[in-house]
Order: sequence, then C-alpha cells, then structure tokens
Amino acid sequence: MKILIIEDEKNLSDSIVEYLVEEGHICEAVYTYDKAVEKIELYEYNCIVVDINLPDGNGLDIITRVKKSTKSPGIIIISARNSLENRIEGLDIGADNYLTKPFHLAELNAHLKSIHRRINFSGNEQLIVNEIKILHNEHMVFVHNKEVKLTKKEFELLMFFISNKNKVITKSGLAEHLWGDYMDMADTFDFIYTHIKNLRGKLLKEGCSDYIRTVYGVGYKFDLSSFTNS
Amino acid sequence: MKLLTKTTLNYLSVTLFVFLFGIIAFYYQLRHQVNQNIKIELEKRKSSIINQLLSAHSSVVTPPNQNEKVIISLLKEVPSPQLSFYDTLFYDYTAKKYVPFRQLGFVASFNHTDYYIQIFKSLEETDNLIVRIFLIMAVLVILIIITLLITVRQTSLRAWKVFYDTIKKINSYDINSHHDFSLSPSDVKEFDDLNRVLIAMTDRIKKDYSNMKEYTENASHEIQTPLAIINSKMELLLQSQNLDEKQFKAVADAYEASNRLSKLNKTLLLLAKIENRQFPESKSISPQTLINAQLETLEDLIVSKKIKVVRKYEEGVVLYMNPYLAEILFSNLVKNAIRHNLTEGELSIQISSGLIRISNSGTELKIDQKSLFERFNKQSSSPESVGLGLAIVQKICDVYDFNVSYLYEHNMHKFSIDYRNSR
Repeated sequence: MKILIIEDEKNLSDSIVEYLVEEGHICEAVYTYDKAVEKIELYEYNCIVVDINLPDGNGLDIITRVKKSTKSPGIIIISARNSLENRIEGLDIGADNYLTKPFHLAELNAHLKSIHRRINFSGNEQLIVNEIKILHNEHMVFVHNKEVKLTKKEFELLMFFISNKNKVITKSGLAEHLWGDYMDMADTFDFIYTHIKNLRGKLLKEGCSDYIRTVYGVGYKFDLSSFTNS
Repeated sequence: MKLLTKTTLNYLSVTLFVFLFGIIAFYYQLRHQVNQNIKIELEKRKSSIINQLLSAHSSVVTPPNQNEKVIISLLKEVPSPQLSFYDTLFYDYTAKKYVPFRQLGFVASFNHTDYYIQIFKSLEETDNLIVRIFLIMAVLVILIIITLLITVRQTSLRAWKVFYDTIKKINSYDINSHHDFSLSPSDVKEFDDLNRVLIAMTDRIKKDYSNMKEYTENASHEIQTPLAIINSKMELLLQSQNLDEKQFKAVADAYEASNRLSKLNKTLLLLAKIENRQFPESKSISPQTLINAQLETLEDLIVSKKIKVVRKYEEGVVLYMNPYLAEILFSNLVKNAIRHNLTEGELSIQISSGLIRISNSGTELKIDQKSLFERFNKQSSSPESVGLGLAIVQKICDVYDFNVSYLYEHNMHKFSIDYRNSR
C-alpha cells in the first residue's frame, strides 16, 4: 500500500515509516499542513495517517479536503487529544480510525491491514497463512481445511497476530487492541494469557504448527520465519 | 443556639423583669398616693365637723350619701372606739353590694360630753381608678413588649437571612462545580463586607485551582507525544534481530515501564475529564444491555475460571447517563469482579430500580475498605496495576450523584451503586 504520513513530530514519523516499510508498504512522510495538502493534490495514496494538531493547520481540514475530492483513501487519525468530541468529529467526516497517542505501532499496522482488506477485497477475502485459512467476513478459521471454532476475542487475537506476523507484539499492545484504553493492565495480562492459551490449544488440536511464541518478559510473536512456505 | 434566639431571649427576660418590678412598684406608689389623698380629705372633714359641732346643736345627720355620712355617738356608749383610720365595708342598697370605705373615728368634746364621731369616704372609685390605670399600664407594656419583640425579630431575621444564605452556600461550595459562586447582597454593612471578602477568597482559590489543574492537564497532554516517540522507538528496537538476550531484556523492561507511564497518563487524563464534566450528553442507558455485553466479551475468561454467573435483573431499569462513561463504569466493575474472583467462584449481578449490585466470591481484603476507592490504592503489589479502576468508578458515580459502596459479606465482595438520589 502507498501511505502518506502527516505527523509534525519527526521522530515519531520516522518510527512509523520504519515499521510500515518493513511490512512492505511504501511510505511518504510530511511534517506540515501545507506539504500534506500539496502531496494529496498531486498523488494518489491508499491510506493517509494524519495528526490533528499540525503547526500550520488542523488535520481534520485535510480529511475534509480529501473526502471532497474523488479519491477515497483510508484515513487513520493519530492525536494526543483523546477527547470524545474529536474522535466523533473525526469519524463523522470520514476517518476510518482514531488512535490516541501514544499508540502501539502494531495497532496502527493492524488498522492499516484492515483498511487494505476493505479497499482490495471489500472484506471478502480469504486470508491464507500456511495451513491457516481465514474467511474474514464470516469470522471463520480453517486449519488444514478443517474449521476451528474460535470465540470473538480469539478471532480478533489471531487477526492481530497475522497482521503483525513475525513481529514481537507486546502484552500491552495486545491488551489495548482487545480491550481498549481504559483498563487496568494487571487485569488484561491475566486475560491475555488465558486467551492465548485457549487460541494456541485450539489451533494445535487441529494439527496447526505452533506459531505463537512467548517472548520472555515482553509478549508474543506469531513466528512464521522458522517454518517453510512463509 | 442561634444568635437571634439568644438575643431575643435575653431581651425578653430583661424587659419582662424590669416591667414586672416597675408595674408592682408603680401600683404601690399609686395606692400610697391615693390613700394619702383620702387621709387628707378625711382630716379636712374632721376639722370641719368639729367646727360644725362647735357652732351648731345638731345631732346625728344622716345624708343619703354614705360619703357624707357622719355617725356621732356618745363615747361611753361605744365599747371599744376605733380611733384614727381604718377600712370597713358598707352595704350599698342601690348597687346591691358591699363597698369598701375608709373611716375616721375621733373623739370630740362638746358641752363637757365626749362624742365618738365616725366619718367615711368611699374607696370604690379610687380603687376602680387604680385598677383601671394599672390595667391600662399593663396592657400598654405588654403591647410595647410584643411589638418591640416582633420588630426586632423581623429586622434581625431579614438582616441575618443573608448571613444564613452565605453559610449555606459556603457549606455546599464545590471547587469543581461549574456554577458561578455568588452571594446575595445585604443592606447590613458587616454582612456585605463578609460576602465581598468571601467572594474574593473563593475567586482566588478557584483561579489558583484551575491554573494548577490546567497546568497538570497541559503537562499530561504534552507528555503524550514524547511518550509516543519513546514507545514507537522501543517497539522498533524490540523487532531488531541483533540484540543479545541481556539487551533485549533491558529494552523490554524499559518498554513496559514507558507503557505503564502512558497508561497512567491516559487514565489520569480521563479522571480529570470526568472531574471537569467533559462528558455532558446523557442518554437513557439500559444497565442490563451494557452488563450483558461486558459478560459476553469476557465470556472466555468466565469459562476458563469456571465462574458461575448469577443474574437477577428487574425489567425496565434505565439509567440516564453518558453512554461512554456508563460503559467504563460497568466494564471496570465487571472486570474487577472477574479478576478478583476465585476459580469456580460466583459472579452475581443484581439490577433493580435504585440499586445495581455486582458481587464476586473472594477472600477478605487486607486494606481499609474506605480507601478502596482512592487513587493508587491497590492490594496487590502487582506492578502492572495502576490502582485507578475503582477511583474512576467513584468519579463517574460522583458525576451522577450515584452512591457507590463496598461490602464484604458471606465471602463475597459486593459493590453497590445506589442511584435513587441521582439527578
């Protein structure tokens, strides 16, 4: 995917670019409102990641501008302001997602993947990872063509893993993806452990390779690198 | 005792005392004066009668009027003549009643014979006069006391009203309140001064407070961006293949710590926003739907902990609050009840009009129950827990005047939300 990143904080922008480039996206970063407008007029992007507070303008205006044009890229807002009004306003004018800083890069990546699926397959795609086949819209998962019954959270967990395959995913990143912002982390860590144990158990039972690796003290990794056909 | 009651009572007792003694003294003084007058009059008549006796040979003269009655008798015929003044009663045939008289008995010699002479003066009129004067005086005094009392009370009441109003307003003063703090004007200078000083004081406090709050909020917001940078750099670093185990561990620890900081910061911002009432729009919320949704999301955990869920729902219970806050409120309580539950424990949810209770099995807490809802109070020393979950619950309940309470009973932790007094 071709992605435009509009974020005035260069350090943060660099991190995002680095993470996304590794995922195989083409990224362009701009740091000002004017530059962003210029880029949007000139080029086509599949997705735009935009910060609301820019030194010379408001990110929301950029979204309005994009929505008025004939182009329809996916839009993700990143903002330090976690106000409900901002969030609602952002989503109202056509943004796909709203992330509050600080956010996990894995989370941003998962949202981009889901936008990618929406644009390219209208959500009706088969996602195939080695022996795992996922029908995203139907929320169905097959291992060696045999269906695995997953709960909603387990499905979300698997999708998050696959979106960020071969990456170390932190426990807090997982927790926020599954449960949202405002939860005591001590709760979520117990919960995540339970979910992962159940998910792994269900996958292994159908003869799936054990892709989920525990990374000591940090989190987990959906590791395809040590298996063939990845 | 209220100042007004005190002054009124003092005033009343003093005036009553003074007037009571005044009236008694007045009565005796009046009585004395009248007696004196009668005495003088009788003396006058005595000398005139003696003169008449000396000049005329009259015997007993009995005019119809008792006042002018003179009884003259021979001294030796009177067994014990009463000389000088004394009081007596005569039957008045016209008025058909006994009437008090003052009588003067004296002895006068005429032609070498001693006569005992009695003359009389009716006391009835003077008595009546005294009683009437006394009554009028008494009524007047009582009237004066009552009118004074009423006037003083009314004036004071009106004057003090402002003061009581001020006290009431200060008592319910909430620095977090978003209403303007104003005090009623008074025509009493002291109270006006007091109000002015109080308003100046609260304004100053409020300004300082909001400055400080603004500062912390701004700081929290400004911290978000650097934190975002730190976190993203760490996340990238964690993906690096070139780290040895020790370095990886160090990065991982630092990453977790900065994550905790972000979480803490986000939660504190949320708390500040709840305190600032930045979630104004309210809707009718069904607690059943919200709690059921929470239970559904957490179903995997309930199953894995083998928790028995007991639902006692009353039909048609509706809360009026912000949907987002309602979700946070119930999700915090339900998650809390699952996390602190025992394996094969019970999770009981009771929803009735006026009360929502979420209970879970568990062992007794070691910390003080009262401090349970305070910030950063946690029982476990678990480093991941920020100890703000219940503080958020408390804050949300404060916004809507819900009364949230904790009780440990029959091996169950019970969190109750009483919303009967809610707005």
